[in-house]
Order: sequence, then structure tokens, then C-alpha cells
Amino acid sequence: MSSDDLFAAEEQVIAAAQALIDEGRFAVPQDAKLYEKLLKDYQKLSRASRRLMRLSDRNEEQLNALTKEQRQANEVIAQKNKALDALATKLSKYLSPQIYHSIFTGAQNVEITSSRKKLTIFFSDVVNFTETTDKMESEDLTNLLNRYLTEMTNIALEHGATIDKYIGDAIMVFFGDPESRGVKEDARACVRMAVAMLKRLGELHAEWLELGAEQPFHLRIGINTGYVTVGNFGSDDRMDYTIIGSSVNATARLEFHAETDGILIGHETYALVKDEVNTEEQEPIKVKGFAEPLRCYKVLGLYEDLVGEGSVIREDQDGFKLLLDLKKRDRAEAIEALQAIVDRLKQ
Amino acid sequence: MRDSLNIEPTSRTPAVVFDFANNHLKIAGESYPEDVTEFYRPVFDALDAYLGAVGQGSFRFYFELIYLNSSSAKAVMMLMDKLEAAAKDGASVDVYWFYDKEDDTMQELGEEFGEDLESATFHLEKMAG
Repeated sequence: MSSDDLFAAEEQVIAAAQALIDEGRFAVPQDAKLYEKLLKDYQKLSRASRRLMRLSDRNEEQLNALTKEQRQANEVIAQKNKALDALATKLSKYLSPQIYHSIFTGAQNVEITSSRKKLTIFFSDVVNFTETTDKMESEDLTNLLNRYLTEMTNIALEHGATIDKYIGDAIMVFFGDPESRGVKEDARACVRMAVAMLKRLGELHAEWLELGAEQPFHLRIGINTGYVTVGNFGSDDRMDYTIIGSSVNATARLEFHAETDGILIGHETYALVKDEVNTEEQEPIKVKGFAEPLRCYKVLGLYEDLVGEGSVIREDQDGFKLLLDLKKRDRAEAIEALQAIVDRLKQ
Repeated sequence: MRDSLNIEPTSRTPAVVFDFANNHLKIAGESYPEDVTEFYRPVFDALDAYLGAVGQGSFRFYFELIYLNSSSAKAVMMLMDKLEAAAKDGASVDVYWFYDKEDDTMQELGEEFGEDLESATFHLEKMAG
């Protein structure tokens, strides 16, 4: 229906009124004038109604078009977001979860920047990996290595580590960046993680032998705490979020000197974890870049585990600390020493 | 009478630039105010005061509207009536209606407004750009 059809009735009224004027049907000229004005206003009102109606229809049409456009744009955005999510998920596997999270939440910029921080660094290496796996088929080796790295990575992430990199069978992680629970807790978490890794490795030995490894994997682990420069290093096109500094080199040396299935920690780490970790000081090791040989300590275990095993008796209360390592101290001697203390208390 | 009335545009209301000193009055932008009466009242008041004093003088009124809702269209019709009345009373009034070259509706609306004006001179023009 056209606009003319819609206003046909009004047009008829106008035509009839105009006919009255044209026919001179008004006896009093003033009445005719008044009627003429009334008709003119009515015509104007009729035109205004048509305009408003057309404008309203046009605006509604535009609104509908915009809504449709917006809906289509939303669909495109949703599709793009989905593709971006899938891509981000793939990319995330190449990054440490903490780094991925800090980049994707905008907490960290992807640019060449660095800062100096005190971190606890961890290095591990499979002893004689090449010899152990030399006779294996490539596919078996890939499965074995990936299974090993997956297991170790899971443990690292459970303990809050930032995975720096995998270098073949070697793993490098650190604690204290981008998230830190404090230098002490970071160091403790790192040692707890190392102990958990060795424990899990023992459980996996049987499985690996079945897969074809001629002898089980054995690890060497080095842990050290110190100031390092942490950040993005590389070019604008390709960069790594990593750490550099003499403490990193020292950690690698500690790992090199660790016993098979052993954890060797530096002095600063020792100072931070000694309340929780039973250690034994080793011969200092020489490290390039350090004037003095580095003091280092072999990790014997976590006190909480050793207490459970019964090899250590430990009491730690405010104003009263007792640590008795039954592997280092003869039981009778310990009783004698404790008796002497009790005697002194009774005096 | 004051020299000018300037109302800054918002996302829902047009810019109002009444330069009374130079006899150039303009409304430009989009018009769909939440309360059309509240927005246009000061515009009408300022225009009434100006028209009351303009006498036989001459002035130009520019409409450069991109979008307007029905209530604003009614307000524009009322403005047109005031301009026509001033012209009828002897003022020389030029009304310019600028429309977007791709907006047929605004062009048609302008044409119709022009048809209603008998005493004021109407100009229908495309917006630049």
C-alpha cells in the first residue's frame, strides 16, 4: 500500500473542503476565510504526518540493517576468536604456562626487555642418555623422551616452576618469575620438585625398560639461587623468555658434579632450605667466573619424608628445636646426649 | 539579545551554532535526544528572541542533519514555521538544507520542507565530501 493509499481518506476530506470553498458555499466571507485557514492547517498536518511516518519507517529500516550487520559482524568475530583460541592453544605448548598466561593477559609485553631478579634455578640431565638410547628406534626414542619430559614437566608445573627450555633430554626451569612466592619459598619449592622428580623417575623405570631402553634413566640435578637477568632475549622477530647470568652457569656446573640420581645445591639455596631439607656438604667445586670454589650440598631428603621413614627425629617449636639424624648419629650416642640435656634441665 | 548560542554536539544531539552577530544560524549532526523538548527549548527561545529583533533584516539558517528521529523532525518543522513566519513578516530569510548525497530520505524531506516555505527562500544542497 502506497503512502497515497494510506492517506486517501484525508485527501477526500481535503478535496471535499476545497470544493466547498470553490463553489462559494459560505454566505459570510469571514467564515470562508476561517474555513480556508482550517483547511490549510489540515493539509499541513496531513503532510507532516506523511513525513513523520516515512521518516519513522526509514529509521526502522536502517536500524534493522544495522542490527543485521552487527549480528553478521558478531558471527565473524566469534569465528575469528575461535580460530585465535585454537591457535593460542597450539602456541601455548611452546611456552611455559606462566609466560603464556602473563603474555595473554597483557601482564607482560612481548618486547626485548629484561630485569634483574633473585631466582632459584634448576638443571637436570639424563646420565648417559645417548648411550642408553642409542640402539632404540627413532619412534621409540621419541615416545620415551616425550613421556619422560611430560612427566617431569607435570611435576614442575605442580610445584609452580617456570619451564625455561628443554635441551634434548636436559630440563632447565626456574622459580621466582614471573610469579614468586618469596625467595625462600621459591627455593623450597624447587628442591621439593627435584625430590618429587627423582621419586617419579624410580616409578617409571619399569615402564621404560619395557619400552626397550637397555637400562633405566638416571638423573643428575643441580639447583642454585642467585641474581640473574630475566626477560626476552633475541631479535624483534624471534625471542626467548629466559635467564642469563653467572648463577645460571653455576647451576649447570652443580648439575654436572651431582651424583647419579642425586641433587646438588649451591650454598645460597642451602641457606634457604636447610630447615626443610637434610643435606650433606660436599667438596667445593670450581666454576668459571667465580673467584672462589662454590660451596655445595648433596640433598639427602626432605625432613618430612625422613621423619616418616623413621631415619630422622625432628621437633620444631617456638624456642625448641631438635633434629636427630639417625643415619649420621649412633642411636646410643644420641640417647646419651639427650639424657645429658634432660639432666641439665632438671638441675 | 545575546550574540550567539553554541551547543556542543553529543552522540545523540546536534551542534547548534547560532551566530546572531553575523546572522548565520546552524544545526548540524544527529538528532535523537532522550528528551526532545528539553533539548530544543533553549534553541526555540534563542531563535524567538532573535526573530523578534530581526525585523526586516536578513539571515541564513543552515540545516546539516545526518539523522533525526520523529520527535526531532517535528521540532524541525516547528523551526521551519518560525522561519517562514519571520519571512512573511518582512525578513529576508534563506534556509539551506544540506543532505548526504547517499541519503534519499533526507533529500526528499528537504524537498518537502522547501515546498512548505512560501516566503523564505529555500536551498537544497548536497553535503561536501
